[in-house]
Amino acid sequence: MQAVTPDMALTGIGLRQPHYRELLEGRPALGFVEVHSENFFADGGATLAVLDAARAIYAVSLHGVGLGLGSAAGLDPWHLDRLARLAQRVQPVRISDHASFARGHAVSGGPVLHANDLLPVAFTQAALDIMVRNVMQVQERLRRGILVENLAAYLSFDDAVQISEVDFLVGLCRRSGCQLLLDVNNLMVNALNQRAADPLAACCDFIDALPPGLIGEIHLAGYCEHSAFGIVIDDHGSRVRGPVWAAYAHALRRFGPLPTLIEWDTDVPALAVLLGEAHTAARLQAAS
Amino acid sequence: MNGSSACEAAEADRQRDLLARLAAPRADAAASPGLQAYRANAHASAERALGSACPTVRALLGAEDFAHLAREYWHAHPPQRGDLGEWGAALPEWLADHEALATWPYLADCARLDLALHRCERAADAVFDAASLARLSGSEPTQLHLRLMPGVQLLGSRWPLESIHAAHAAGGDESAFDIARERLQQGQGEAVVIARDGWRGVVQCIDAPGMAFMQALVRGADLAQAIDAAGEGFDFADWLAAALRGRWLQEVILVER
Repeated sequence: MQAVTPDMALTGIGLRQPHYRELLEGRPALGFVEVHSENFFADGGATLAVLDAARAIYAVSLHGVGLGLGSAAGLDPWHLDRLARLAQRVQPVRISDHASFARGHAVSGGPVLHANDLLPVAFTQAALDIMVRNVMQVQERLRRGILVENLAAYLSFDDAVQISEVDFLVGLCRRSGCQLLLDVNNLMVNALNQRAADPLAACCDFIDALPPGLIGEIHLAGYCEHSAFGIVIDDHGSRVRGPVWAAYAHALRRFGPLPTLIEWDTDVPALAVLLGEAHTAARLQAAS
Repeated sequence: MNGSSACEAAEADRQRDLLARLAAPRADAAASPGLQAYRANAHASAERALGSACPTVRALLGAEDFAHLAREYWHAHPPQRGDLGEWGAALPEWLADHEALATWPYLADCARLDLALHRCERAADAVFDAASLARLSGSEPTQLHLRLMPGVQLLGSRWPLESIHAAHAAGGDESAFDIARERLQQGQGEAVVIARDGWRGVVQCIDAPGMAFMQALVRGADLAQAIDAAGEGFDFADWLAAALRGRWLQEVILVER
């Protein structure tokens, strides 16, 4: 017997190039599609045309990877202008980025380097002050609230830490008025890299420490064990793992149904596989 | 410095230290697995971004050597923007100065062509104003300006750029490689116009008078000045036919004096 398609109103997938045609022609039921904002910063061209076509069918969420909200060097005005222009064009349902830094001077007095990566900040009061200031600048420019995502971090600044990651994120939301984009897979990746005795319990503890009402979206993805580095990497290259589904179900019990994205960015599978993952998320929402 | 700004300065130092360790040409021996992971990610992003922007250079060098160069270039000229589609402007000069590439003297110009195509495909979308062609009859050339389509670029080279590009874009067509090799041996340079056909950037050869004419247009010359700049051998009617075929022209503008 064929499984009944669940209500997909809150569930989305990333809009990725291998699926453009199939998705736009087949128009499967989805609450939204999400794109990496920076991939659509060009003045024109084919990718923007595809995004316009997708927007005619679906709500679009703009998920940035390059604002560098934690950068002590501040935001790049060019980046903010491009994001504002894209938001004006797309009228997105949500705009988000990460609790990370990306740009700064590698050498004092040298040019600003943009690492094009999600580099971790130290969980200190000063780092929080910087991020609050940058998030508020973005929100004032866009004239709307944004969401900020918790990181999978492969480095930490243990000797500098003054506050917990939860307190950092909650403080950021309360002081700037932004919402939290809770990436459950990132919680699991961090728990595994920190060698938590019970990684699922560590994820659930993190979720339980977050006050209800701050979270605007959840991300789910796959991770991989990187044998050369001996760490777990949030590579968005496989199915969501069982313990991550379990932590997601725990979050839904605590927070209720929330917009949820399945991220799959490397080794992108057939669209049907991705939609199957999205259906699993929707069924868990319905059961929560 | 008050306490708050001193603490923020400490954060800036911490971030500068991590960026410096990422940007260093070689990882230090004590690099943590996490730092190695971030460096590997930067390298993978560099390979993807430059490979996408510079397919001809990648095809000439081969995937492995190109990946090595992309990593090296990331450390020499790291990105300054959060959109890697904007990265690579310094690549042609860097390739030209690279000692290990001295036997590939045309590589820098191939990178210029690749990057021009890449920029062209990201340029603003525009529609050709066919009705504006009527201004060509009934107006003084000194009152007319020809606006080129967004993304149109001109490139002169002492190397047969269009032939090299066509050979690699053709994907293994030996006759195209034979033509490129022959023109390389003859030292036959090619000037090209890069423009968009639909969503794709395309390359077309142009003769010296046509190139001089278009360069004058880009500088802001009116039609009369541009025809003067083109010199002997320039035929505006022929150029216009090529411009319409190649989608170089956006509109003819009448400037009231």
